[in-house]
Amino acid sequence: MPGERRRVTDLPRGWPVGFGRGEDERPAVVVLAALRSVRPRRLREIAWQLGSAQSCLAAVRTGKVSGPADRGIANTVDGEELLDRVAACGARVALPGDEEFDPRLLDLADPPAVLFVQGRVLAPGTQRVAIVGSRRPTDTGCDVAESLGAALAAGGVWVASGAAQGIDRAAHRGALTAGGPTVAVLAEGIGARHGGWRGSLLRKVADCGSILSECAPGVPADRYRFPARNRIVAALASAVVVVEGAERSGSLITAGHAADLGRAVLAVPGSVVNPQSAATFALLDEGARPVRHARDVCEAADIPFDEAAIAARRAALRGGVDPIEARVLDAVGDGVLPEHVADGAGLTLPDTLACLLRLELRGLVRSDGGRFRRSLDASALEPR
Amino acid sequence: MYGKVVGVAVTGVRGRPVVVEAHIGRGLPSLTLTGMPGAAISDARDRIRPAVERSGLEWPLRRVVVNLSPGSVRKEGPGLDLPLALGVLAASRQVPHERLGAFAVWGELSLQGDLVPTPGALSVAIAVAAAGLQGVIVPARNAVEAALVEELEVVGVASLSEAVGFLRGTFAPQAVEHNRSDTTADDLPAMPDLAEVRGQARARRALEIAAAGGHNLSMTGPPGAGKTMLARRLPTILPPLARDEALEVTQLHSVTGLLDGGGLVSRRPFRCPHHSVSMAGLLGGGGAGGFRPGEISLAHHGVLLLDEVTEFRRDALEGLRQPLEDGRVVIARLHGSVEFPARCTLVTTANPCPCGRSGVPGEICSCSPQSVSGYRTRLSGPLLDRIDIRLDVPRVSRHELLGHDRAESSARVRDRVLAARARQAARLHDTGVTCNAHLPGSVARRVASLSADAERLLAEAVDVFGLTGRGFDRSLRVARTIADLEDASEGVSAGHLAEALSLRGGKELRRAG
Repeated sequence: MPGERRRVTDLPRGWPVGFGRGEDERPAVVVLAALRSVRPRRLREIAWQLGSAQSCLAAVRTGKVSGPADRGIANTVDGEELLDRVAACGARVALPGDEEFDPRLLDLADPPAVLFVQGRVLAPGTQRVAIVGSRRPTDTGCDVAESLGAALAAGGVWVASGAAQGIDRAAHRGALTAGGPTVAVLAEGIGARHGGWRGSLLRKVADCGSILSECAPGVPADRYRFPARNRIVAALASAVVVVEGAERSGSLITAGHAADLGRAVLAVPGSVVNPQSAATFALLDEGARPVRHARDVCEAADIPFDEAAIAARRAALRGGVDPIEARVLDAVGDGVLPEHVADGAGLTLPDTLACLLRLELRGLVRSDGGRFRRSLDASALEPR
Repeated sequence: MYGKVVGVAVTGVRGRPVVVEAHIGRGLPSLTLTGMPGAAISDARDRIRPAVERSGLEWPLRRVVVNLSPGSVRKEGPGLDLPLALGVLAASRQVPHERLGAFAVWGELSLQGDLVPTPGALSVAIAVAAAGLQGVIVPARNAVEAALVEELEVVGVASLSEAVGFLRGTFAPQAVEHNRSDTTADDLPAMPDLAEVRGQARARRALEIAAAGGHNLSMTGPPGAGKTMLARRLPTILPPLARDEALEVTQLHSVTGLLDGGGLVSRRPFRCPHHSVSMAGLLGGGGAGGFRPGEISLAHHGVLLLDEVTEFRRDALEGLRQPLEDGRVVIARLHGSVEFPARCTLVTTANPCPCGRSGVPGEICSCSPQSVSGYRTRLSGPLLDRIDIRLDVPRVSRHELLGHDRAESSARVRDRVLAARARQAARLHDTGVTCNAHLPGSVARRVASLSADAERLLAEAVDVFGLTGRGFDRSLRVARTIADLEDASEGVSAGHLAEALSLRGGKELRRAG
């Protein structure tokens, strides 16, 4: 797998037994989560040396472990106050061993010491699939991520992703519109206020899913936090699907983590002329499984898939397509001009446009820039 | 000694009779102008004396006072040169008074005493006819234009001495014939034609719908898609100008000085201002030189194309909102306000993103998502709400053009547009509007008379596309036009509505929701 090879450490799995357990430990762990430059791996090393969060914090306070900036934070930030801030933004603290702290995270060589959770309880044993990819995808890529998110949600699977624009956003949107919960993992501290589309997306996620971060409120999204966030996304999921990504995409890091953790890695094959297919082709080349529909993902990840729900969805779609619409659908490929659809279907242009609109309303066709293409749902109509 | 002449001042597009009185009394030789003369008329002070002297007439070497009445109104325009000169000549008894009572006079003088073509002749003639005078004396090269007003005797003279000759009865100017013809554009140089556009079947269809219902149209697409080429062909499928429309257009073009000697403007105007145009340039403005119509008024009854609309100044674009709604521009300044008609079809073009490659197959957009969303939010919602048809125009590849025959000509499309307009006119005769684009939302809902299927489709679209109330009305208006384009269709069917919904624009030029 491409991506960084983790240094093999001889530390035991997870965190030392006493770490973060008990009332005195909680504020200390939260302060540790507010530090800027002590990365989780380093923290785990000193945790195994010193045993408790309080002694780790003391080491930071004396300057033994980190630099002066973190020393300042450790000396000025009050753990109890920080806990109040966490509660004020409606988040909960989940420590290793808590019910909400998914034990699958401990598969990581550098698991988070704490998770802050907003929204629904992150029940262990929930099946999740991560959908990740480019922040600047093509419209087809967005469509695929959205349809995949919707289909998985319809089958009762949670979708996990970051909160970036592009594929992340499309995957969340698809799952949410299908009424399914999603998990959004933030790179910055929990509770940050967002405006625009990200704000409205996160509000919806908090309403019917969960928002996670390993950082305390107020921690900015430093550069290294994004790949760090990706490891959590990978660890939480049973399978990682990469939809689109350029040559050195961050999705490859997520896929790399997933492979190291033994999660299924899948990639959506793209067009050979699309530079955003570079990452997915690289993954397919290394043995990732190709994705055509949600079922591929569930089979690869060995997730029980609600066939009945999908069958009902298909029946609803197929039942709504009359013979003329079927002809139009047959004439639509990827990025076809409406006059060519009309030629292919043998209809007039106005009738074709009206028909395309009805198909678009049902999510079988997408239009963009004056061209039309089939959605993933339309492909799912075909017998396999 | 006293003389009185009726002149005409032009403010905006309206002419207003002005009584020019001249008094010659004792005192050192001087010329005093009273009665709120504007800048151009103050200039005339120094211009008319040489003009009189070089015409072989005598300038009274006494104290001359000229008054412009009514005194409460500021008078603009160079057209008062001739009345001023004739007023002084009448006061000094060099011209008889008889004909001066029946004719208004108007025109700008040169120092030589020649009359030069002056902007606004049609407005002058209309004002004179309304004032009930027998005729008007105008510069010879404005005579054809003034003669568009039928009930008026138009006297075209080339110089001050000819005007004096006419008043004295010693010079008979060539009679000016009234142009009664309704407009024909057949003898004009060829316009671009829709037949020259290859491919782009959907855009042609959208142009047809826009022309049939008078809808404003926005086109979004990558450079080279043919947006401007298509927009330039919209006037060729619009119905010909009716005579009263043509008179309004001629008047506007006349006061702006765009008419070169010809009579009636018989072609729908097509205006395409550069994106650096100022607010005053786009909407019209008033300054020391008087009021001038802006591009939106020059496009009255025609097409205003804002090419690369996102490059236009924000304030100028925002200023379009009210005129697009009302069909007129009111410009208020310290020294008065004028109204210009501005009922035009707005066409805008824009790229999908700053680099223009977004959505083009095989090309990668190099814009950051922030810059794309910033680019798309340059048009405000209220302005976009006035654009019924939003079309995405794809760039068509070489392969896709193969096998396309020569397309339909503008003339054939125009026949269908005319038929659709006739159906609208029959339906809308009691609503006060002439085409579907101007229907208020409540009326649109009534006249659309949706079929049950169409109602269901609309409800679905509200759910799925998040159609807003205004978007709802827009789609209804466009659907009504599509139904009108189809022969003898009364109600709006689901098919009509579906096509209208497909013209609501995929990627809005602003943030969705």
